[in-house]
Amino acid sequence: MSELWRTRRICTLRSRLTLALVAGAVSAVVAAGALAANTGKSLIGKLEGPEVVTDPAKFPKTFTEAPQLAELVKAGKLPPVAERIGQDPLVIKPLHEIGRYGGTWRGGFTGPADFWNGFRCCSGPDHLMFWDYTGDKAMPNLARGLEMQDGGRTWLLHLRRGMKWSDGKPFTADDFVFWFEDVYRNKDLVPTPSAAMAINGKQGEIQKVDTHTVRFKFPEPYFMLPDVLAGSTDLAGQMFGYRALGGFAPAHYLKQFHPKYVGQAELDKKVKDEKFDSWVRMFLFKNDWALNPELPVLSAWKTVTPINTPTWTLERNPYSVFVDTAGNQLPYIDRVVLTLAENLEVLNLRAIAGEYDFQQRHIDLGKLPVFIENQARGGYKVYLDPGDYGGDMIIKFNLNYDADPEIAKWFNTADFRRALALGIDRDQINETFWLGTGTPSSVVPADNNKYNPGPQYRKMWATLDVTKANEMLDKIGLSKKDAQGYRLRADGKGRLRIEIMTLGGQFVQYTQISEMIREQWKKIGIDLVVQEVERSLALKRTAANEQQLGAWNNDGSEHLFTFPLHVFPFELAAVASSGPLYVKWFHSAGAQGKEPEPKMRELMDKWKRAFGVPEKERIQLGKEVWKIAAEEVYIIGVIGMGPASMGVRVVKTTMGNIPSRQYNSPDGKTPGISRPITFYWK
Amino acid sequence: MLAYIGRRALLAVFTVWAISALAFAIIQLPPGDYVTSYIAQMASMGSVVSDEEAQNLRIQYGLGQPIYVQYLKWMELVVQGDFGFSMEWRRPVTEVIGDRLWLTVVVSVAALLLTWVLALPIGIYSAVRQYSVGDYVATFIGFIGLAVPNFLLALVILYLGFTLFNAHIGGLFTPELQDAPWSQAKVWDLFKHLPIPALILGLAGTAQQIRIMRANLLDELRKPYVVTARSKGLSEARVILKYPVRLALNPFASTIGYTLPYIVSGSIIVSIVLGLPTVGPLLLKALIAQDMFLAGTIVLLLGVMTVIGTLISDILLVWVDPRIRLEDT
Repeated sequence: MSELWRTRRICTLRSRLTLALVAGAVSAVVAAGALAANTGKSLIGKLEGPEVVTDPAKFPKTFTEAPQLAELVKAGKLPPVAERIGQDPLVIKPLHEIGRYGGTWRGGFTGPADFWNGFRCCSGPDHLMFWDYTGDKAMPNLARGLEMQDGGRTWLLHLRRGMKWSDGKPFTADDFVFWFEDVYRNKDLVPTPSAAMAINGKQGEIQKVDTHTVRFKFPEPYFMLPDVLAGSTDLAGQMFGYRALGGFAPAHYLKQFHPKYVGQAELDKKVKDEKFDSWVRMFLFKNDWALNPELPVLSAWKTVTPINTPTWTLERNPYSVFVDTAGNQLPYIDRVVLTLAENLEVLNLRAIAGEYDFQQRHIDLGKLPVFIENQARGGYKVYLDPGDYGGDMIIKFNLNYDADPEIAKWFNTADFRRALALGIDRDQINETFWLGTGTPSSVVPADNNKYNPGPQYRKMWATLDVTKANEMLDKIGLSKKDAQGYRLRADGKGRLRIEIMTLGGQFVQYTQISEMIREQWKKIGIDLVVQEVERSLALKRTAANEQQLGAWNNDGSEHLFTFPLHVFPFELAAVASSGPLYVKWFHSAGAQGKEPEPKMRELMDKWKRAFGVPEKERIQLGKEVWKIAAEEVYIIGVIGMGPASMGVRVVKTTMGNIPSRQYNSPDGKTPGISRPITFYWK
Repeated sequence: MLAYIGRRALLAVFTVWAISALAFAIIQLPPGDYVTSYIAQMASMGSVVSDEEAQNLRIQYGLGQPIYVQYLKWMELVVQGDFGFSMEWRRPVTEVIGDRLWLTVVVSVAALLLTWVLALPIGIYSAVRQYSVGDYVATFIGFIGLAVPNFLLALVILYLGFTLFNAHIGGLFTPELQDAPWSQAKVWDLFKHLPIPALILGLAGTAQQIRIMRANLLDELRKPYVVTARSKGLSEARVILKYPVRLALNPFASTIGYTLPYIVSGSIIVSIVLGLPTVGPLLLKALIAQDMFLAGTIVLLLGVMTVIGTLISDILLVWVDPRIRLEDT
């Protein structure tokens, strides 16, 4: 009862808002609609980006800094720039040219839950390793290098000599040991060990070799470690500090909040004075990159007014280790100011009005025509960054659904899943919701992705073929229909009716697209019921195994091994699930849950095996994983390689070093992958 | 008279207490809690929160305890003027609501004043000059004001403001002054931003009040005492303003009770659309995130406003209408 109440209440509100949006934008959309259908594809440019220089011979010999920092140095308030950067700068070759210092970058965010906004644009990227601009290869980042030993069991991480935290204290191996011993291994802070620190379920260790060398040691070969350090994983630097993760932490600062280093009485007093409930909450707060302006950081910008105020402001870190090829300490832009927008409509309208300088997150693809129309007036240019993943929208079958044995049976029949996939008119959906900018596709990633199994898999079970779909459904035993033309259940209990669960207010209009699929499936006699629910409720339903079909996207899945949760049942806490019991089975090594069918097992085995083998073999295994996924259609791919998920970018024309197309992915922290620290005001 | 007010005040205190309990219970109704919504939020971004971690969070936030224990703990804080800690904003609730509350009051009062300033004279005019061109125009505009949802109006005005006047989108301040400390310039900036939200919020109410005023006044105007007053040679203005208008004001007084909280809660959607930094959008977000103490405090606040509004209207009624005084004693 209460669930119903909540769902309906929020839906009503949302539909009113949606109505409002439609009314507000409709005139402009109609006027510019024709325009966009033709120009959409032309907004997609060439993939490009800055590069990390790893050859010390090409490093700059002298350094320069922002004028205001130079003044502080002159006043004796700051050490000279060369001293602050250290002996091993992190050299970045800007995309087009050397930039100029100064200015503010204005953007929008939606509140304290929108922390990814700042993580993506401005947290460095402070990963130890990070992707090159293609998102393909893990390159040294905060770490100077990563050296494999002992057949992949041991990895030596070389730190940059003389590198410092934003408060001027040295960044050393001790920060890793502190994090590993006192933070990660503290059960109160991290109750469950992270999968990123383990290979085949066996936890690894972090040890200090010397001040600038750290050893990651694992019981079995862990060839994936460079990718894991580069991706948005639990070892992805300080952005995950608020969950006590990240791989390192500023020991000199955090020790004062840790019971091992201060007396319990003193700690209790601190907790009480600062009005926290417990030392754990206080510690996590103090280690929060977005919330605590005092936290020493390694990113090139640091928070000065926190995310829980109306303006989230970041300013340059005087100890930034990042420099350009001419020796200018990065970032170029002084400040990043993200202002709170009470809702996405206001945020989008502000972007249209040119009140943001670079905004990608929360920009709505559906408003593309309005964005294009106002380009000259707002002084900005629109870019599209389609993702490399196969699904801006996917539909997951819950293979473990058991509340209705009839439906469970069909979900576990491959031809049923395939027939449903053939019943979708992807072109219609692409034109309506993606304005033609997406690609009708199965779940497999882009053709240039190293795990892509081959061109024949793009359209496998991903074309419109109503005749074939009907034949297949007839053949598996669903040939009887009712007067309205809907197929009847085989157990004689009336019409076969299946439900799809969607979430509203997301980057992709899952509910509206599902409504369109509902219409399309009428032609194959399938009665689809679309249920939009609120996020918590979605989660509760998937965990309780109550979801039938679930709509979501598979962004991140192009990094098959660091982001597998939309490839097979990997994660219990999912807003759309392929099978919660399989998840339990997978993570308990068969002790709990339900054993998957042979093909799914094969897929899972191959995925798991890939972590412990060299890259060449891993790529082969990756391709095989995608082959099975495309052939078995555990998940229906609808539209892929599209810009719906944060792929519409609005940038002021006076901003320099802007790539015409970026690799778009959570793993690449896009736009972080384009190194916003090299953006500048012309 | 004093006894009457005293009794009302006592009842008000009891009502506020009941509201606090109810507010807390209602917030607990939806499935899950803050931790569930946190996990959901993490999950939709691709992050993983394990069962153990969730359990830890529940212990840290005290969500594992029975509801009545949580309520009593909260009440203990409320009595001391501390409304607890917002889980989502990770700041004390009072701080989170702080400025927003005052801005809400400013916007609400402006809307209320605008409603009355417009509705009273127009209502009187419409009644006195019934079926005149002016009456028809006022009626027409009034019905449009009633019929158009104010959030839609907000959107249209927002869009027109942008396309025609290049106005700043949403909010109550220009970006430069958003975080500046209060100063003359900032107050003036607020004042300049105020008319549009006040008009949008006040329009539906204005239309309603015009209709009420008109109808009541028409009833009164036909009564014999008006004829008597006229026959005694009183001026037309005095005839109308002294007696019938005073009686027709009753509904104005009695609606204050729900006007006060309505302007806060009724403005939620408008505030969201216009991007106003008021309490409304905060309440919606708090409910979605199941941020109990924040949502509870706002609901409690709305309750208190209703009660205070009712109390004021009770007192006003007694003052405006002597007949109520007589019945009471």
